[in-house]
Amino acid sequence: MPQGKLHIFHRKKTIVVFLACILALIVLIGRLGYLMLERADYYGDKAEDLHERERPIKASRGRILDANGTVLADNKTVCTISVVHSQVTEPEKVISVLCDELGLSEETVQKKVEKVSSMERIKSNVEKETGDKIRSYELAGVKVDEDYKRYYPFGSLASKVLGFTGSDNQGIIGLEVQYDQVLEGTQGKILTLTDARGIELPEAGESRLEPIAGDDLQISLDYNIQKYIEQEALRVKEEKQADSVSIIIMNPQNGEIYGMTNVPEFDLNDPFTLLEGDASQAMQEELTNEAKQEKLNQMWRNGCINDTYEPGSTFKIITASAGLEAGVVSLQDHFNCPGFKIVEDRRIRCHKTAGHGAESFLEAVQNSCNPVFIEVGLRLGVERYFRYLAQFGLLKKTGIDLPGEAGTIMHKKENVGQVELATMSFGQSFQITPIQLAATVSSLVNGGKRITPHFGVSVKSSDGVLKQVLQYPAGEQIISEETSETMQYILEHVVADGSGNKAYLEGYHIGGKTATSETLPRSAHIYISSFVGFAPADDPQVLGLCIINHPQGVYYGGTIAAPVIKRVFSNILPYLGIEKDLEDLSETGTEND
Amino acid sequence: MKDKIGKPDYSLLAVVLFLTVFGLITLYSTSAYNGQVRFHDSAYYFKKQLFATALGLLSMYLVSRLDYHMLMRGAIPAYLISLGLSGAVLAVGDSYNGSRRWLSIGPLSFQPAEYAKLAVILLLACLVSSRKKNQGFATIFIVMGAVLPIVALVGTNNLSTAVIILGIAVIMIFISNPRYLPFVWIALAGVGFIAVFLSMQQYRLERLAVWKDPENFDKGFQTVQGLYAIGSGGVFGKGLGNSIQKLGFVPEAQNDMIFSVICEELGLVGAAILILVFGFMLWRFMIIATRAADLFGALIAAGIMGHIALQVILNVAVVTNTIPNTGITLPFISYGGTSVLFLLSEMGLALSVSRWQKENFCIY
Repeated sequence: MPQGKLHIFHRKKTIVVFLACILALIVLIGRLGYLMLERADYYGDKAEDLHERERPIKASRGRILDANGTVLADNKTVCTISVVHSQVTEPEKVISVLCDELGLSEETVQKKVEKVSSMERIKSNVEKETGDKIRSYELAGVKVDEDYKRYYPFGSLASKVLGFTGSDNQGIIGLEVQYDQVLEGTQGKILTLTDARGIELPEAGESRLEPIAGDDLQISLDYNIQKYIEQEALRVKEEKQADSVSIIIMNPQNGEIYGMTNVPEFDLNDPFTLLEGDASQAMQEELTNEAKQEKLNQMWRNGCINDTYEPGSTFKIITASAGLEAGVVSLQDHFNCPGFKIVEDRRIRCHKTAGHGAESFLEAVQNSCNPVFIEVGLRLGVERYFRYLAQFGLLKKTGIDLPGEAGTIMHKKENVGQVELATMSFGQSFQITPIQLAATVSSLVNGGKRITPHFGVSVKSSDGVLKQVLQYPAGEQIISEETSETMQYILEHVVADGSGNKAYLEGYHIGGKTATSETLPRSAHIYISSFVGFAPADDPQVLGLCIINHPQGVYYGGTIAAPVIKRVFSNILPYLGIEKDLEDLSETGTEND
Repeated sequence: MKDKIGKPDYSLLAVVLFLTVFGLITLYSTSAYNGQVRFHDSAYYFKKQLFATALGLLSMYLVSRLDYHMLMRGAIPAYLISLGLSGAVLAVGDSYNGSRRWLSIGPLSFQPAEYAKLAVILLLACLVSSRKKNQGFATIFIVMGAVLPIVALVGTNNLSTAVIILGIAVIMIFISNPRYLPFVWIALAGVGFIAVFLSMQQYRLERLAVWKDPENFDKGFQTVQGLYAIGSGGVFGKGLGNSIQKLGFVPEAQNDMIFSVICEELGLVGAAILILVFGFMLWRFMIIATRAADLFGALIAAGIMGHIALQVILNVAVVTNTIPNTGITLPFISYGGTSVLFLLSEMGLALSVSRWQKENFCIY
């Protein structure tokens, strides 16, 4: 049998082939390493997406309850409709049913149904009845998942305080944002693995993570008080053709806010629709999305905390408190008002150009006499005046539990000369938020303890068990109790027989201060009328601030804003259980003298 | 030096048995889902493979007991039979997945192309070693001329196997000829031929585009699913039996793409070890070839080495999308009765060659 000889070169070449093959195998191991280490996350995630059907289960969001337990923000059941592409057997029927029931265009639905994806959401926030109806068709591959949608039973009530949530149940403005973590709960999910036909793998099991419902938030806001101040604010807004009206009602002892409104309010169940006036304008102008968003932001703004204004004469409470506390002025001091005061080279006029003549400090406050307050401010001096502003908490934010609180816009101390100090003394040339004024006045008349204005009172689990009582910084003594009592006395007299007399309510001791300020530029003659009042004057249990922006006609705070607080007080004081004192005010007045 | 009938290469035997058992386990794991879905029997593919494996092991034993020199006389008839069978399959073959590759005899079906590889190895080893002057160009042309008919016949419906057969032929000629330069020309000619071949048909160029960016082509589906399986394996894999990609995501996971499921279940470590095991096997073939008693035995062992190397390299390269997709099975592991039967017979042949080893030789 002829058999060839095996030469050395045969062996060498065999080894060459072998080495070439080993080299190729090593290259392939390298390639595998690249795929399985470098690209593992990429392909692994893609594979996981392919295998997993994850269905989130929304946690029911905690409710917001008013002081009496009335539900202000609730949830209602809605449905999310999705399709699982691999399970759809009759695409045409699915498309036509979903189009009819959901009112979507055929194009949109068709695109989603025909998309090769594990699960495609067709529409969320579908009414429960619609969802039930779609379910009754029993279409293969169509999933109807129930979840919750935020629902506000009282529509526009306290809209700017409560805020609303987006489609993902996330707070967008107001308390819904501030307390998002308390309210949101923890989303649950159903995780299943499926094979290529979309059939869930039994051995892989279904891991179901139950959602944890969010906690309820109890707030100090009182539905009845809120309702009433909104009505009152709307009434005066219409009567005075004002741009907007803000009212804050709070407890000056602990900072709890009973009511806060900025009319016009908006519908929390439909927060993306502009108010009527703006809406028709928007139709005409065909607003761009940006412009529309800008208008929505304006509509959602809570003027009481997001905007600053020049407080005017209500700020004299601060100047008076500082003056009394520093001892640069006392009730018995006598002044003379010629109708102006010259500071450096400026002649600063009193609102009563004829002058108030000779007057005591008490009378000066009752008259809201500018020259007297300029005098007090100058006696204090820049350094001391700023020290008191800081001590009273006016240079910081109040720390209210709402997002977007604006800070005080104040002169830099080193830029303040005598003229600036003079204007500051009667509340001009700087800006603060309404809530800052209300909180500071509360602190000055409640015995001198700084309070933090707030809504949140306690956190309760969904079955009503108290989980947490919310705490706020409080108790810092910013003026002496004596000074605070003197302020109570002075401000009661402002209402009893001074510029605030339109807030006088028979049988009640009400303290307060009016203000009329003019916005910049002064030439526009746009006014802000305001009144801050509290009752009972000697032991304040409730404080109210009313601010009317740009009223038409009479614009004096004492004339238009004080009656608003009077009306509000006449309703809520009995409601809050504050008894009438049948003794005559003049008698208590002489006692205090 | 004297030839001596010794013991077969037990290392090779061990690695063959290991791969056979590992292949059966992996095949069962991979094919259970498809078997359940299509035939309501999760062991459907496994049972068929087990039958072919048993037959193959028997064949391996018998062939390994043979004196391989006797096969010199049978090489040409065996080759003629393979030509006949490959021709028959074109005429009366069965189609499966769109390719006519099977001959049915009663309940048994048979893929002639698998047999053709073995026949070609034998034929070439016989042709080269029986020529007195086997180092010239004449041998190259005679050998190429001899294999072209089978390449053409197989290539009409099974291009990948034709490429493997051609590759085996080139490797065997390369080893049988002392020169290197001519093979550079052959390589260049091959590249040129591939380029022309590809550009002749639009769908072949499309294959290249799919290769570059499989995720954006429908035809890249199989490749992408394989990559998903590989990528989700990580370092240590999901554990034997825990692949999810085999559950219908990778089409025909038990066939060409089975390596991707191994990657998913056993991770980079498992896959690399498997490749190294194949490397070890190639090393044993290399040892058997270089220590063979004569050129015929050496060429048989070298041809078998080329065959296994080509299939492993090309299969892994396809699964990892290193080269464009083409249907090549992974030896011992992919599903295929004919394939495992002839592979094991081939191993028997290698074992037989290993029994006639030259002692005291050293070229290293």
